[in-house]
This record gives sequence, structure tokens and C-alpha cells, in this order.
Amino acid sequence: MSNLNITSTKQNTFDAIIIGSGISGGWAAKEFTEKGLKTLVLERGRDVKHIIDYPTTNKYPYEFEHLGELALNIKSANPIVSRCYSFSEESEHFFVKDNEHPYIQDKPFDWIRGYQVGGKSLTWARQTQRWSNFDFEGPARDGFAVDWPIRYKDIASWYTYVERFAGISGNKDGLSTLPDGDFLPAFPLNAAEDYFKKKISTKYPDRHVINARCAHLTKPKPIHIEQYRGTCLNRILCNRGCPFGGYFSSNASTLPWAQKTGNMTLRPFSLVHSIIYDDKKEKATGVRVIDTNTKEEIEYYANIIFVNASTLNTNLILLNSTSNRFPNGLGNDSGTLGKYIAFHNFGANITAELNGLKQYTTDGRNPSGGGYIPRFRNVFKQETNFLRGYSAELAASRSPVTDTKGVGADLKKHLIAPELGPWSIGAYFMGETIPKESNTVSLDSEQKDAWGIPLLKINVDYDDNDSKMKTDFLEQFTEMFTEAGFKNIQRKSFIQSPGLDIHEMGGARMGHDPKTSILNKWNQIHTCKNVFVTDGASMTSTSTQNPSLTYMALTARAVDFAIGEMKKGNI
Amino acid sequence: MNRRSAIKNLAIVTGGVLVLPSCLQRPTSIKLNNLNLDLEQENLLSEIAEAIIPATNTPGAKMLELHLLVMKMVDDCHEREDQYKFVNGLKEIDNNCNEIFNKPFIKLGLTQKVEFLLGIENNKFEKADITHFYHIMKSRTIQAYMNSKYVMTNLVKYELAPARYNGYFPVKI
Repeated sequence: MSNLNITSTKQNTFDAIIIGSGISGGWAAKEFTEKGLKTLVLERGRDVKHIIDYPTTNKYPYEFEHLGELALNIKSANPIVSRCYSFSEESEHFFVKDNEHPYIQDKPFDWIRGYQVGGKSLTWARQTQRWSNFDFEGPARDGFAVDWPIRYKDIASWYTYVERFAGISGNKDGLSTLPDGDFLPAFPLNAAEDYFKKKISTKYPDRHVINARCAHLTKPKPIHIEQYRGTCLNRILCNRGCPFGGYFSSNASTLPWAQKTGNMTLRPFSLVHSIIYDDKKEKATGVRVIDTNTKEEIEYYANIIFVNASTLNTNLILLNSTSNRFPNGLGNDSGTLGKYIAFHNFGANITAELNGLKQYTTDGRNPSGGGYIPRFRNVFKQETNFLRGYSAELAASRSPVTDTKGVGADLKKHLIAPELGPWSIGAYFMGETIPKESNTVSLDSEQKDAWGIPLLKINVDYDDNDSKMKTDFLEQFTEMFTEAGFKNIQRKSFIQSPGLDIHEMGGARMGHDPKTSILNKWNQIHTCKNVFVTDGASMTSTSTQNPSLTYMALTARAVDFAIGEMKKGNI
Repeated sequence: MNRRSAIKNLAIVTGGVLVLPSCLQRPTSIKLNNLNLDLEQENLLSEIAEAIIPATNTPGAKMLELHLLVMKMVDDCHEREDQYKFVNGLKEIDNNCNEIFNKPFIKLGLTQKVEFLLGIENNKFEKADITHFYHIMKSRTIQAYMNSKYVMTNLVKYELAPARYNGYFPVKI
């Protein structure tokens, strides 16, 4: 028997274990395997193989049973995920259904999840901007959360590193608020977006409209061809999975790359119960896994463990990883684990019309969405009655206007030859929220899921700062559209539950001090040096940029550090 | 043969024994889970759809079987109340046609069909279920038409992969 145990222990031992195969886990897999480490990638959901497992990718609208619309029985059984803009007949197989994985909402929280190989990297919105020092210095300057233990210089070269491989399209805009990257050509602005850009730059020297930066291959380089990825063909059917690998996903990019090294073992249907901490060795030795098909419990061992389970599930795993040394969750001496959750506020937009430029329209489709306006509020100094600020996505188009009155031959004629409406432009608010101790996730003491893991209780809400900021956005953009000569300005303000932004961050934040944070400047648990967290859980604050590019850069940087530490014998 | 005369005839054949109408229902050509419709009603839907999108020098609703997609959408994607009003409103079509023209919708000439439908569109029946039916029927028929393979490959071409984006595409004013 003891021989058997030794054999099975050996079989279950790797150099590194990565929990999660989404956008950050995929990067960890690539980096470890490329550097020769035998790596186990654990994914709680099913496998999704690039192209093969994209069942809807090449369907025409009329090939869907309901033209892409969701049947009512699916919507009423899944009110939470049905609120997600990306959940449709085209993509529903890439989203967790409400009843499959329950959680407790102490306050309303729409937790949008993708339990499959590749995670939400299949369905993300692909907007990729670097952070600047205005973001990393934010908490220290404005006195909230804790100081970020890194600055832009610490991560700049890692942004370049991940951008080159992932393929990011954009322009070098020379803005201090949004550092330039290593870009493929940008998707162009259209006539109305360009017009707005020019008007704004004359009137407001500190406000900039730029071409949105996104993870699409506009002009693939040899490194992308080597991944078997091709030019983006402007389909904008990205959330079905792209057969060309035109946008970046773990499935199209990092995971096949890791597979090719021969060093990766990918294990789907593997739910991590907890991380095993050895009190004597004073480090983590492995993970406890439940096979979701057989319900069998299996232990896997490794010297380095990366937690990339997605923000809230990473918190759940750490909270559930209790030991004599860490009775309140792994690395949680400070008591901050599961606290200071923050997100992005998308609860406003504003649209307007332009009475000119009728000689132009758009042809084809723009996968980047259009333009992007980096934060211009409270950048160089505090100037408003709220902290921080917001960015905005900008998109203009001309919609067909169809006369649908009546029936018969005339109606038919109008339908197939509609008139072009005026240019309509929209700006979409994305506000930074302030991490607060009261925004928490925790484990329920009684209720458990189908695998015996405590349910996650989510207690996250907006605050006064969020509503003041939203008011300012609507005022500023009303003024900007008015100044630029737009008419029929329509303001929309609404409250969507936190979570629906799918930008939840924090809970295991980085910081200088083990007394007030979980991770150090290398995304390494202060008090358990061989465990790293490099997904959204590690974020100290949220900035106004989309977060994924920063997760990728932090991950590659942390792997590099971990391997160095391993070689030095420190972990 | 409409259903009433069918029942009458059958009643004669069976010697006056009352037969439940449900036994006489011929099933629709597609399986429905929520809507209680029979083949005769399906044919009526097909006639209404054809009046909305008629065959001209290009195919109309009948040839494109738009009414089947309308039935599918209403059956799977609408609330119960909508479904109830849809079926009820459909029944009111022939009730009203019989009252106004003394014949069912299917027997009307094209001008009368159009006149009748425009009447509903212009709120002749106000808040009755027939109006509710008509709005669902018309918008779903238009949707089915615009998303049909015929239109998407011949008239308003849908490109799966445009492979281009021009933000300054010239148009004649």
C-alpha cells in the first residue's frame, strides 16, 4: 500500500499548479511551461477546444432556432445571467446558469461566470489599456485602500511583453494618463467620432478621444502566425469564439502554446476545494481537488501554486483553505481577505445626434467599438466633490430608418431599401469605485454547494461617491456634446447590480504591509511564499481602465519572479 | 373547408353524436409547446403573413414560410399573456371578417385583406386582443422576413466576415 501511495503521490506531483484557465491562468500556463516547468492547469468546468468547441461560430442569423434571441424558459430560469449583455442564443453555452452554481446575495450582485477552459476570455469585451502612475498612485494620493506596492515602471516592460504576444491594436497617442503600448494598427474612428475628437481637442485641451485599444490582430506578426492565429475579419461575433483566433483568448493563444511545450497537463472538471498548507514545512504543498463528474477527491502537489480562479472564486478558495497556521483563510493574518472588493460603475450613458456629415456612413464593422476617452477628472489634482473619475467608450453610427407603416408591396420595398438616419453617437460611462472594507465576500457557515464547499456570500454595494461621479459624467458629456454641435442629447442613468460590470476586483489585495494586505509587490502571499494570486483578486484599486491587460502583465511578471525565487531556493 | 362546416359535416356523418372539437384539430406542421393552434389557424397565419409581405417580383411570406418562424418565436419567446392574446386575437380575425365581409379572412380578396389589416393597424379595434395579435404578428413577420435566408443572401446581404471597416464610406445625399 505504501508503495502505491508513493507512486500516486509522484504521479500527482508537478512543478507548478495553476488554478483556473481563464485570461490570467492561461498566461501562467504559457510562462511556466515555456520555461520548462511541469505544470498542472486545473479548470472546474468542461474543456473548450479552440474552433472545435465553438458550435455557433459560423452560423448565420437564420440558422439559429430563435434568430439569436433567448427562449423565455431560459431567461426566466436564469434571471441573473440573462441580464448580461453578452448572454444570447449565440453564446449561452459559455455562461454559468443561475441554478448550477448558487451563491448568497446579502446585497444584489449579478455574478457572471464562465466555468470552462478559457473562462471568460472567450466572451470578454477585449478592451485593453495600460494603467499609468495616476492609477497606481491613486490610493496613496487620495487616501483610500492602501498604497499600491508597484508603480508603472515596475510593470511597463511586462505590458510590452504580453501585448506583443496577445496582439493589441491601438495608436501611440502620447498621453500620460494612458501609456502607449506595443501596438498593431488601430481600427479607425468613423466620420462622426473623428468630428467629435477634433471639436473636443480644440475646446478641452486635457480631454482626449482616441481609437479604442483592443486585443485584435489587425496585422498579425510572426509571433501570432506561430500561434496559428490570423487577421481579425471584422465579424464582431467574438463571444461565439473566433475560428481565426482574431481576438486574444486563452483557448486561441496561451493554452495551445503551453500545450505545445509538452509540459502542460490540463485537467477540466477539477474543482479546487482548498490549498493544502503544511504547518511543519511552513508552506503550501498542493491542492485538494474534487472531480465534478465522479465526486472523487484528489490531491495534487507542487512547489509553486498560482491562484487564477477569477476574482471571487479566488477569494472563496483562499477563505476555504484553513489550517492551524491560517484558521481564517490562507495568508489571512491581516483579516483583510475577502474585503475591499471593488468594481466598475457602468450605470450611465448619453446619446446624441449630429445633423451633418451626411455624405458618409460606415461600411463593414469595427470590432474595437469605436473611440475611448481616458479619465480627465481629478487627474493632476483633486478638483471635484468626488474621488477619482471615469473613462468613457464612444461609438457613433448611422442606423437605417425604416418606414414600417402599412402592409404589402410598399412595406416590403421600404424594408429592403431603408433610408439612412442621422449620425447617432453614444458615450458609455465607466467609473472607478473605491475599495471599502464593508464591500466583502465571505463563506456561509451552513449552506454548501453540490460538492460540499461553502457558498459564497456577497455583500457589495455602491456609495455616495459613485452617484456624485455619475452625475458629473452626465453633466460633462452633455456639455461636451453641446459644444461639439450635437442635438437631441439623451441622458440615461440607471443602477445595475454590482457584478454585471464583470469587473469585480480585490479581496486579496497587494500592499507593502502584511498587516493590511494579503499579497506583496510580486503577487506573492506575504506569509505563504509559494502561493501567488495574479487575477482580479489581487487588485488594490480599480482605475478607470479595463482590467484584463493588467492581470496578464502581473501574471507574466509574477511567474518570472517565482521561477527566480525557486532557482535561488527561496521557495 | 373551414372548421365550422367540418364539424357540421362530421356531425351528420356520425349521426348527430357530439364529438369534441379537439379531436378534430389537425396538428400544426411544427411542434408547439405552449400555443394551442391547429392547422387551420396555421393556414390563416400564413395568409395574414402573405398579406403583410406579399409575393411581388421577389418571394413573399408564404414561399419563405415566415409564419412558421412567427409561431416558433411566439411559442418559445413570449410571455403567457402575450401567447393567450395572440391565440385569442387570431380567433377574432375571422369573427370580425365574418361580421364585416360575411366571409372568413382566407376568402377575402387582396384589397379587402389589406383594408381589414390596416383597420387593425389604425386602431379600429382599440384595445382588443386582435390589436395585440396584429402587433406581434406584424413585427415578428418583418423580423422573420429580414432574417430569412432569401433576404440575407439576395436583398440585404448579411456578411459573416466583412473583413473591412470604413468609417468614411461615401453616400449620395
